Amino acid sequence: MKPILIKQRRVSPVITLLWLGVTVGGTIAMMCYSLKPGLTGTPPSEWPAASKVVPSADGPTLLMFVHPKCPCSDASVGELALLMAHCKGHVKVHVFFVKPPGQTTNWVLTSMWRKASQIPGVAVARDDDGREARLFGAATSGGVALFDVHGQLRFHGGITAGRGHSGDNSGRDAIQALILDGTSAVTQTPVFGCDLFECRANGQKGPP
Amino acid sequence: MTASIDTPDITSAVTRRGAELYETQREDIIRRTDRFFVVLMPLQWLAGIAAALWISPRTWAGAQSSIHVHVWAAVFLGGAISSLPLAMIWMQPGKASTRHVIGVAQMLTSALLIHLTGGRIETHFHVFGSLAILACYRDWRVLLSATVVVAVDHLVRGIYWPQSVFGVLTASPWRWLEHAGWVVFEDIFLITSIRQSLAEMRLIAERQANLEDVNHSLEQRARELESEIHERKQAELQLEQNQKFAEASRAAGRAEVATGVLHNVGNVLNSVNVSATLVQEQMAASKLLLLRQAADLLRQHLDDAPAFITNDPKGRVLPGVLVKLTAAAANEQSRWHEEMKNLRKNIEHMREIVAMQQAYARVGGVTELLAPAELVHDALQINAAGLERHGVEIRRFFEDVPRVKVDRHKVMQILINLISNAKYALDASTTVSKELSIHIAPNGGGSVKIIVEDNGVGIPSENLNKIFGHGFTTKKEGHGFGLHSGALAAQEMGGQLTAVSEGPGRGARFILELPAVKFEPAPQLQLA
Repeated sequence: MKPILIKQRRVSPVITLLWLGVTVGGTIAMMCYSLKPGLTGTPPSEWPAASKVVPSADGPTLLMFVHPKCPCSDASVGELALLMAHCKGHVKVHVFFVKPPGQTTNWVLTSMWRKASQIPGVAVARDDDGREARLFGAATSGGVALFDVHGQLRFHGGITAGRGHSGDNSGRDAIQALILDGTSAVTQTPVFGCDLFECRANGQKGPP
Repeated sequence: MTASIDTPDITSAVTRRGAELYETQREDIIRRTDRFFVVLMPLQWLAGIAAALWISPRTWAGAQSSIHVHVWAAVFLGGAISSLPLAMIWMQPGKASTRHVIGVAQMLTSALLIHLTGGRIETHFHVFGSLAILACYRDWRVLLSATVVVAVDHLVRGIYWPQSVFGVLTASPWRWLEHAGWVVFEDIFLITSIRQSLAEMRLIAERQANLEDVNHSLEQRARELESEIHERKQAELQLEQNQKFAEASRAAGRAEVATGVLHNVGNVLNSVNVSATLVQEQMAASKLLLLRQAADLLRQHLDDAPAFITNDPKGRVLPGVLVKLTAAAANEQSRWHEEMKNLRKNIEHMREIVAMQQAYARVGGVTELLAPAELVHDALQINAAGLERHGVEIRRFFEDVPRVKVDRHKVMQILINLISNAKYALDASTTVSKELSIHIAPNGGGSVKIIVEDNGVGIPSENLNKIFGHGFTTKKEGHGFGLHSGALAAQEMGGQLTAVSEGPGRGARFILELPAVKFEPAPQLQLA
């Protein structure tokens, strides 16, 4: 019986190397994007008097500003939940969901709102037109600011290691240390998330 | 049955077959796993796109939004990662390079999915799941390729972007080993499982090879048995046919004997007839009639007998006539006596011929101790008329030999056939002096040989091997079973029948060897 010969084509090693370069390069690019922080905010060193929220008299107060639609901030809310698991009762937490002007109230009532509302010891509020965010100098979704009982800023930045990246991170560790131990070497971390305002779209480097 | 299945050649053949089956099975597994990835890779790609669209469809800046980078990454990077493995499976399935590229692609897919799902710890299980799926190739080197990708990823990122992989900037430079260690932990179990699986596959392949070999042996044995059964059936048929031939030959022999007897009796009857006619003619022309006339004349002259004998002219010659008639009567009586003697002898000859025919007409099968010379004599007697008619000179060379232990009828059948054949061979020959020589001599080894030799037409060498075959004959009226059945009959009696001829026109010699008893000279036959 005559054997059936199947001509098998071979993939060139050059193609394989090219593929490796493209895929590894793409992975690195995506990683770089994940690690690219948002705009650095300029929070005040003391609690702004114009804020509708008053700092806790019993301990530190933690504020988080969130864009309701930011997918990356879901990880930040998750990290906040982890933080509260360790620090509940030692800190007062407010999460503000920024509502841009012209958007409806329901616009902020996202799954992330519900998720934040379910964290024990966390007060969730709508921040119309980002008033509170502006007062506290927040520019990027997921950013937090920790004030001590005297209204002094002790920490500001993000509590994720990358865009939408859950897991251990320096920000969460620093806040936990400040709340529980009163001290931390890290007082500022980058924030990974969407812009709270359209400042960059308007050519500005910070929130208006 | 011999121990042939344990011979080294067969063992090595079984080992080779086992190795062949093992390799075939491995190739099947590899190709099957390749096909599995043909389905899995597009599914992973689609799953990545779905995850990106679900988790991070858009990126925002205030109230403005655009498509999230993750969506583009899921579409294009995910597609790129899956493209080469799929192309390689299509173009070079089963190749080692194909599965190594698949291993690398799986790990890159894991990295992509982890990113797309926001680093969820659950998505990290994709790495371990992928390793388990890659283990389906039963090739530990593929696991090594995948593990190297994970280790290098963690090493490089641990050095340059520790926060991206460990979440903290101050992680130990060796912490990547902890992450890679868990992968290695799984690898150890998977590699152990692969080794065990391969060992089992090899064992199964060897068993299958052994089973195939046993099956082959059984089939071969079955074929041999079938062949043996067929041969036995053929032998039985041949035996049955031979028995028929032998019976036919015996019948023909008996017919030949009967023909010979009738011929001889006819000849003798001729002699009897001649004798009777002669006696009748002699009696018709007998001088005794004259004696009667003389007696009548004497009775007429009883009263004057002396005067009549003395004076009458007739009376005077009467004494002389009586003396002559007496002498003539005595002479006639002597001739008649002689003829009657011949007549009686011929009648006795006929009685002997008939008695001999009756003796050979009996059913055979009885082994007797017989004198070879007696058998030869009887056979010659039966053929005597034919031999005489054809002018064949018979020469006998009989030595002292022991008696043979044979079936009389079978030997007679053989001898009559040999003598008859010789007669035809001589008849067909142009030789003037037609001689038929019969030798009886010891053959050594406790047997006796009877040689029937003629100087007739001889046998061509190409026919020497055929003449004992069934159906072979050179005679117009022949059937071709005389020598065939003769040879079989000789074998049945423990002897053999062979033929020698120096070729056409050189005569032929048939040697009948018969088993004999211990030497005991047979009584010499008084040959007429």
